[in-house]
Amino acid sequence: MLDNLLVAAYLIPTLFGLLLVVPFGKSIGDSLSSRFEILGSERGRITAGLQIIAFFGFAVSAQTFWISSKISEGGNFCSSSTVFNCDDLIGNSDLNVDPVFDLSWGIIGMIVNAFLLFMILVIKNEPNGEYTERFIKFGTLITGAGILVVLLLVSYEIQEGKICLYCTTAHIANIAALIGFLRLKMLFDDKSAWKSK
Amino acid sequence: MQGRLRKDNNAGAVGSAALSVASLFFIAIMIIAFTANPVAIGTDVGERAPDVEGKAYNGTSWVEFDFESYFDLSWEAGNKSGQWVAIEFMDTDCPYCQQTAGEYGQWANTFSANNPDWNGPHVNFMASATELDIPGHDTSRAEIQDFRSEYGHNFPYIDDIDQDNMKEWGIPGTPAYFLIQPDGIIAWVSGDNNEDLAQAIVRLTPQE
Repeated sequence: MLDNLLVAAYLIPTLFGLLLVVPFGKSIGDSLSSRFEILGSERGRITAGLQIIAFFGFAVSAQTFWISSKISEGGNFCSSSTVFNCDDLIGNSDLNVDPVFDLSWGIIGMIVNAFLLFMILVIKNEPNGEYTERFIKFGTLITGAGILVVLLLVSYEIQEGKICLYCTTAHIANIAALIGFLRLKMLFDDKSAWKSK
Repeated sequence: MQGRLRKDNNAGAVGSAALSVASLFFIAIMIIAFTANPVAIGTDVGERAPDVEGKAYNGTSWVEFDFESYFDLSWEAGNKSGQWVAIEFMDTDCPYCQQTAGEYGQWANTFSANNPDWNGPHVNFMASATELDIPGHDTSRAEIQDFRSEYGHNFPYIDDIDQDNMKEWGIPGTPAYFLIQPDGIIAWVSGDNNEDLAQAIVRLTPQE
């Protein structure tokens, strides 16, 4: 029960971030713009959505890294007899690290999301700065490459016949961030829309 | 000094974003470091034993082997009720494995809860039987069964003819012995010292 609540604490804000970056999130942005001015513009809405997605992507990655550390101590965190069992995946020493450097997927997620968050903050604070175009391209590239990692990790879940909800939330965050960066790229290419406040 | 630095009109935004994200990252790492104490999986003393997979022969049939079921992760050092595990990586055609098979079987009987003369914890013995890449070392499940009965062993023999477990454990040659605590942490490895498995059990297990 507590476990599901914790997953929801990461998943709901991530989905809210996704809602902000997609075109039909405009109505939500408009309704909140009186309190949060940044949501009044398309660019502000997408960067705010991306900020939320990257932050919670970072947080859920840190959580999976913590879970894998706790399981290695001998504890268990979310073991269950149902298909929703993250211990069998995060605690599996063959599957919880990348096949090249043997780095925990959790720490990789933390580093990637921290870097995405950094780029988003720079774009948000200096939208017409010299780094904007480069960072939008980097963000699209990184989250695009992340789709390959997501596919690999989903193949592990299919192979094991288990679903890790924390990992799934991190995967959703990556997909949502890719959508956000693609939307940002389209907006940036349309200079007038980008510059309009 | 000032002339050598490139002027960056966005340095403020970049610097403040970098500081915010770096702070967030290090706070997260600190929280993880203070609340978790990860144990590496490996075959050195103090590491968590890797899994052993495959079918095991229990004297009547080959059944799925569940290595993890032997461990109690909540066990604490000094607790006499926990059951220890001794595992031998062997090849039925390895002459030294054949020489020591009788002794290994005797130890299984000695360090057992069924032995009234042993005042220590029960030690679950097992063997992982592989096929070394040496001419004349061809083996089969039937050969493993024959080996087990020839030496009167009553513990499970795991089929590792494909060498999966041996590779996972990084075993350079047979026989290799490991003594594992009830919580799955490796307590002793053969080859690292002059004592044999029996001496290690007596030295490391809690006794009355």
